[in-house]
Amino acid sequence: MRGHGFLIANYVPGNSVIHRAPLLLKFLVVAACGAASFLVVDWAVSLVVFCIMCGLFLLSGAGLRRLAGAIRMVAPIVLVIGLFQWWQLGGPTAARIVLNILVCVVAASVLTATTPVQDLLDGVVSLAKPFRRFGADPERFALTIAVMLRSIPFIAGAFADVRDSARARGLERNPRALVLPVFITTVAYARQTGDALAARGLGEPEDPLEP
Amino acid sequence: MNSIHFDGVSVRVSVDGSDTAKTLLHDVSLELTERRIGVIGANGSGKSTLLRLLNGLVAPSEGRIVVHGDDTVANVRRIRRNVGFVFTDPLSQLVMPTGREDVELSLRRSIKNSKERAARAETVLARFGLLGLADQSIYELSGGERQLLALAAVLAVDPKVLVLDEPSTLLDLRNRELLRRTIAGLDQQVIMSTHDLDLAMDMNRVLVVESGRIVFDGDAEEGVARYRMLCAAALDELPTSSRKGDVPR
Repeated sequence: MRGHGFLIANYVPGNSVIHRAPLLLKFLVVAACGAASFLVVDWAVSLVVFCIMCGLFLLSGAGLRRLAGAIRMVAPIVLVIGLFQWWQLGGPTAARIVLNILVCVVAASVLTATTPVQDLLDGVVSLAKPFRRFGADPERFALTIAVMLRSIPFIAGAFADVRDSARARGLERNPRALVLPVFITTVAYARQTGDALAARGLGEPEDPLEP
Repeated sequence: MNSIHFDGVSVRVSVDGSDTAKTLLHDVSLELTERRIGVIGANGSGKSTLLRLLNGLVAPSEGRIVVHGDDTVANVRRIRRNVGFVFTDPLSQLVMPTGREDVELSLRRSIKNSKERAARAETVLARFGLLGLADQSIYELSGGERQLLALAAVLAVDPKVLVLDEPSTLLDLRNRELLRRTIAGLDQQVIMSTHDLDLAMDMNRVLVVESGRIVFDGDAEEGVARYRMLCAAALDELPTSSRKGDVPR
């Protein structure tokens, strides 16, 4: 299996001001970027925010290559969306939508590149604690995030493998030869992951009676 | 207390959702007290089902299994804590992007403090000689390193019993030897299915599984010899049609 490039940048150890910033602040910035993508109506503002996010990413010391890698992963889909929006709604709207998507990707990358995954999961657990009164298990929230982070590169890798297999058989233009195997591989992977999590006792509710 | 009991265990599954049931294990009764137990048999013979029963991943259709005093159905939470399970393919088992993060994930339930958890993960990784690889992507590791990492992640929570389902299948000779030495040095009771007969010879006791039945239960040397006989008999049956010139179309 290959093609496991992460959509969201991996943690890069460092001691930058972004690394040292409180996790809650980083969460809020990501949330604000997500909310702004609905509120901002001027593509120029989106461009400024995008530049600021890129600046923060580079300030963290994660490097231009990782930034380019994070953007490259979403480039094909953003291109399709951009062209469609340009055709439907014109250039400025297409530019705003594309830039807003990229702002969200880069903001999420700033968060993940400067926060160890375990700290991220601890943060998710803290944020989910109020839901405990409704019967939710905060650790399950964290586990869901962990599985999501793990699954994105796996599915990307599965797609790359299937595409190569289809090419080798001269079926690269056959959507069924691409989609079905990825779907089946993904379902099998989900079952294996479920088994592995169950075998390790992860995701099970805590028993207050047990030590 | 430190033993595993299978009491009249059968496992049946429905075939393609129909009423017809296929029996994967037939009426297995065993008491396992040895420290190293090997399970050998052909593909599809029921080895994995037998092992999955130990961790509660498969529930028996009949009978019961008690591992170190805990019923695998009634006390499944404690069973999962006490019985570690290592899969054939470590990539299906490792959930996190790096080794350090995966070991820390194993420890999340038992150690709430993140600094203590990180320190414990460091100790576990050092014990398996994986500290230098702790922050590498799991995809950059060799098959042997991944399998060791999967083992480390399972052993991080210090289970009483370790179950390994064909752990050496995807490994080259060097990594297989590394795994063999690591397993030999463990304190846990180990139950392992394998096609590697050298590895099976290290065991104190070997079970040979054939068509969902335990057809041999005894010492490793005899068990391996019995398995070789079964394989030879199966091979003798195979070429019959080709000898007659009945080449399948």
